[in-house]
Amino acid sequence: MGMIEVSGLSKTFKVSTKEPGLLGSIRGLVNRKYVTKAALQNVSLKVQQGEMVGLIGANGAGKTTLVKILAGIIHPTEGKVSVLGFNPWDRNDQLRRQMALIMGQKAQLWYDLPALDSYMLLKEIYQIPEALYRQQIEFLSDVLQIKDQLKVQVRKLSLGERMKVELMGALLHRPNVVYLDEPTIGLDLMAQKAVRKFLKEYQREFRPIILLTSHYMEDIKELCPRVVLIKSGGLIYDGALTTIQKQFGERKKLILTLEEKLTTLPDFPAELGQLEMSENKLSLTTSRAQLNGAMDLLLKRYQPQDVTIQDPPIEEVIEDFLQKGQQ
Amino acid sequence: MRYLRLYLHFLRFSFSRAMEFRLDFFFKIIMDCMFYVVNLGFYKILFLTTPMLAGWSEDQTMVFVSSYLLVDALHMTVFASNMWWLPYYVNRGDLDSYLIRPVSTLFFISLRDFAANSFVNLLIALTIFVSALANLQTPYTTGQLLFYLGCILNGWLLHYVLQMIFIIPVFWTQSGKGFNDFFFSMGMAIERPDLVYRGVLRWVLTLILPFALIVSFPARLFFGPATPNLFLHLVAVTLGMWGLMLWLWRKGLRAYSSASS
Repeated sequence: MGMIEVSGLSKTFKVSTKEPGLLGSIRGLVNRKYVTKAALQNVSLKVQQGEMVGLIGANGAGKTTLVKILAGIIHPTEGKVSVLGFNPWDRNDQLRRQMALIMGQKAQLWYDLPALDSYMLLKEIYQIPEALYRQQIEFLSDVLQIKDQLKVQVRKLSLGERMKVELMGALLHRPNVVYLDEPTIGLDLMAQKAVRKFLKEYQREFRPIILLTSHYMEDIKELCPRVVLIKSGGLIYDGALTTIQKQFGERKKLILTLEEKLTTLPDFPAELGQLEMSENKLSLTTSRAQLNGAMDLLLKRYQPQDVTIQDPPIEEVIEDFLQKGQQ
Repeated sequence: MRYLRLYLHFLRFSFSRAMEFRLDFFFKIIMDCMFYVVNLGFYKILFLTTPMLAGWSEDQTMVFVSSYLLVDALHMTVFASNMWWLPYYVNRGDLDSYLIRPVSTLFFISLRDFAANSFVNLLIALTIFVSALANLQTPYTTGQLLFYLGCILNGWLLHYVLQMIFIIPVFWTQSGKGFNDFFFSMGMAIERPDLVYRGVLRWVLTLILPFALIVSFPARLFFGPATPNLFLHLVAVTLGMWGLMLWLWRKGLRAYSSASS
């Protein structure tokens, strides 16, 4: 079974700095100063064939650097990587024939030509047998519902349609490893949904390894049972998405449904959490540790018809987690 | 064969695209024709005042001039627009999508775009070249002509290699403008017979930045007397420059840092 293995991966970039203003520019010309920026620090992970893993992190956390190293685009400073048994930056054709990289912000097809023309070139590049090529065109255009757009110049397509033809082009050779860097960026909700639905279906059908980076938590929630959290170049969590919510969801939301409508917000100790009211509902956002005490206090005052305890949305949990880091 | 099929795709794409922009298509042809007229006119005027230039008669010089017009047209048609874009690909991270393809990245980025509008100029340059050959008084055999054409094609590839050597530093410098301007200034040396250069400049133009080997050496080999040393010099320096370019290219890819998303 093919897989990705990363161990002790680090990447640093040397970046020049400059003082502001003309004087700063002159100084920089004579005596340029550089800082070393760590984009990745000692990252290790393993991904098995058929897994779909979400890479999460703030802007500049190192997600894209990781993807680019795995795709063989940039060289790491330290560490070992094996993708399907190959060292990716050897740029072996055998590996490159089995992988695809889709960047939401970069077009890879010929802009002035219809997608079908570019696909003919990709067929030649990847040496796709005629039967497989036809089968893939049929399957992908059908699932992506893009048949009518394949003969239209790419530049005349909408952003959503363009992403679909890009996805189709990247998957024509049926890769075993797919890197998706922000595939839904800038798309409207309908287009995002369509892309997600397609990826799910593609994954179910062909079981490739898929590594996905996205700032849209909907993408991660719907597609990736496993997530890797990256902060300042370091891996701070690698596991199930649901586990993050259960284990690291610091806050809880307690909702009491009362018989009567409330008119004023009752007094409540601020240290136990933040209380809000709406119609006949009282909501308390509190920490996991304070939950029992806060609930006792409220239940002494009210006799609710219903009590529910909710976990906070995953977006909030991850935000908290990324802010605090590994503790 | 696979690379030939890929190149045929590039040709097809480039012609389809070029014909979309009609005005640009015709304007380019007019501009290049003016370049030819200026170059031929310069030497015509020069020969009004002298019967020989660096040991060549007017008919020989016209073969030399039409040869570098042909090399220029070949370069403009096949390589130039691709090389123009390379610094942008490196700085904007667009090289990424070429690096992931199972095909030589150097082949892809050097030949992807065929300048279909320059193709018409290539035909014009070829016509000027054939006409200059027809007027050549120096006798030559078919074998000598084929040898000369081979050397001119070698000169065309050497021109590509030299330009790449000047472009590749963009992997480290980010801005390639200075190098590019230097290349074009030095590149004007192609347009003069190498025997007009003396001393250190001659040494530079035949060994370090061997622009004189692109057309002038082939012309000297063609007009005679062809010396083995001259030919060996041409072969050795050409191979050395290819080696240097490939070495730099590999180093450049290693230093490539892409761009943030």
